[in-house]
Amino acid sequence: MTRFLLLLYNEVKLFRTTALIHLVAILQPAVLYLLMTTILVHPTFDLNVNRPGSDLEASLLAALEQVGSPIGLPYVNPILVDWDGGPVVRQVITVEEREGVPTAVQYYGPIDSNLVKNFRNRLTAAALRLWDAELGNRAVNVEEHAWLPRDVSYNVYFGLALLPMAAFLAAALTGAALTAQEFEFRTMVEYRLAPAAPGLILGARLTRLVLSALVAAGILLVAVGLVTHAWPRELWLVALILLPLAVIAGCLGIVAGLVFRKSIPAFLVALVATFAGWILGSAFGLAASFGTGYQRISRLTPFTHAVELLFPRYFGATVGSPVVSAATLVLMAGGMIALAALAYRLRVVRQEGV
Amino acid sequence: MEASAIQVQAATRRFGSLVAVDHLSFEVQRGEIFGLLGPNGAGKTTMLHLLTGLLRRDGGEVRVLGHDPQRKAKEVRQRTGYVPQETNVYLDLSAVDNLWHHAALYCRDLAGIEGRIESLLELMNLWERRKDAVRTFSGGMKRRLVLARALLHDPEIILFDEPTLGVDVQARHAIWAHIQAKRGQGKTFVVSTNDMAEADVLCDRLIIIDQGRTIALDTPEQLKANLGRDIVTLRTTPPIAEPETYFAGLGVQTVTRLDPDQLRLEVRDAESIVGELVARIGASHRLESVRIARPTLDDVFLHHTGRALRE
Repeated sequence: MTRFLLLLYNEVKLFRTTALIHLVAILQPAVLYLLMTTILVHPTFDLNVNRPGSDLEASLLAALEQVGSPIGLPYVNPILVDWDGGPVVRQVITVEEREGVPTAVQYYGPIDSNLVKNFRNRLTAAALRLWDAELGNRAVNVEEHAWLPRDVSYNVYFGLALLPMAAFLAAALTGAALTAQEFEFRTMVEYRLAPAAPGLILGARLTRLVLSALVAAGILLVAVGLVTHAWPRELWLVALILLPLAVIAGCLGIVAGLVFRKSIPAFLVALVATFAGWILGSAFGLAASFGTGYQRISRLTPFTHAVELLFPRYFGATVGSPVVSAATLVLMAGGMIALAALAYRLRVVRQEGV
Repeated sequence: MEASAIQVQAATRRFGSLVAVDHLSFEVQRGEIFGLLGPNGAGKTTMLHLLTGLLRRDGGEVRVLGHDPQRKAKEVRQRTGYVPQETNVYLDLSAVDNLWHHAALYCRDLAGIEGRIESLLELMNLWERRKDAVRTFSGGMKRRLVLARALLHDPEIILFDEPTLGVDVQARHAIWAHIQAKRGQGKTFVVSTNDMAEADVLCDRLIIIDQGRTIALDTPEQLKANLGRDIVTLRTTPPIAEPETYFAGLGVQTVTRLDPDQLRLEVRDAESIVGELVARIGASHRLESVRIARPTLDDVFLHHTGRALRE
């Protein structure tokens, strides 16, 4: 135990040899999150509406303002503009009377099909509000039954989905850099000749990478909490969910370092693997929200399983199968440990033959 | 206790078609400083790697403290220290941190390591700079640190690859002094070098290697004495055209042309012929310079291979 702690202590001190990579790897997800939530993600949709010139237009505008989300946010924020019929940058909605029929018209610039669809839905909802009363028993009533006790704020979901990425990035990047630099500094000879058990050496490095991963995830968790005021339930469970993910990432970094023996390619492989895995692994929405193709690929990454296990901690509702996700993560971690041990044996321990 | 520290019998190692170590045989006694002397690419580092077990051999036998490093790598590594040619330390860590790192990997018993680190750093005159990043050390200081590191786990044998490569004269002498002091405490050193002065001053015995093969093996004094001749180096104007004929009857044993106008003669007793030699040259040529010297290890190498060690 004393030797393991000493090895771990030395591993932590190696921070000084790759300080910049540590800072990038640990802080980058939190910075990314703060930038994305500050610049890109808003809780409401701004909707440009031509300033009402008739009672009909005014009543549609009033109906639009009442279209909310299930938890009653002012989901649509109509912004009144004086549109002269010129080019449209984003989208403008007008109400025109055509042959006695009131018509809501969407004028849009560069097509953002998602936004067009979203605004179309809002207009339809507003129209229903306006005219349902006149339709009597032919009225179309829309009921909303919320699955979750509260709305899935995108800022919270994005933060939740970034947590596995933060842990993964920190462990993978620092693991790759620390291992590759041993070849570059030629300090790998020290490990090659060391009488200490390889399992102990590898265990200390992996433990230190897991700690780095949890620190990175912790920083992000605080950033998400400060921005959204959403804090996960059972913090220890969050750490436990991220643990196998950090092990997988740490092993990936070590293997990349051992295979490439140079910092830059090992670093790039770890970086690309992290971002590709994160994007495929429910980064921007639950896998179940997408097609079956995406879902299948998504479940091959550890990220989706981690996101589905983390989801209840923030939103109080279970998605997917927690048992399957937990078992998958543990199996993936075990497989990666075996792979890292094999790579260490081949690249470090084994005597060079012919 | 094993009779000798190291026994090597016909050790061979190939890299593809290149035979880096070709049937080398030697024995190193306990408490000895044994040198592997040869030009770059002679196979010295490969031989050290065979002793550590970093490389597998293709043939022959190697025993280090009675163990085959290929089969009992752990036992061998626990009792040997290796200083590679490159100064492989963590430059951003302090001297103390580098030693602690080594201790965790190599030291069987971690009790008392702090005191050992202190005494080794003091021995190597690094104690005052123990907390400074190694990046700020001079080449000699780094080399001393690597030696301290190799000694930390109290090995019986230290394998030292090019001990003073790239260090200044002062640091060189300090490193030699440390090696000799440790030999005095019963440590065995195997030192690889292509530096004749280092081999001459430092080693009790040495093996001269070229292209993986043994050229000679003995004490430096004996190797030179075995040559049994003095070296006369002379420069003339114009150059002497056929020196073998020109110096006939003077007891010249070997003539080598170093430059167009410079000759190197091996003679049994230079002092007895120098008068006649100068007179003979003076009659037909202008003698620009003449130097009489006892043989060096370079002369030994030249004698056996026909080329200088530094070529």
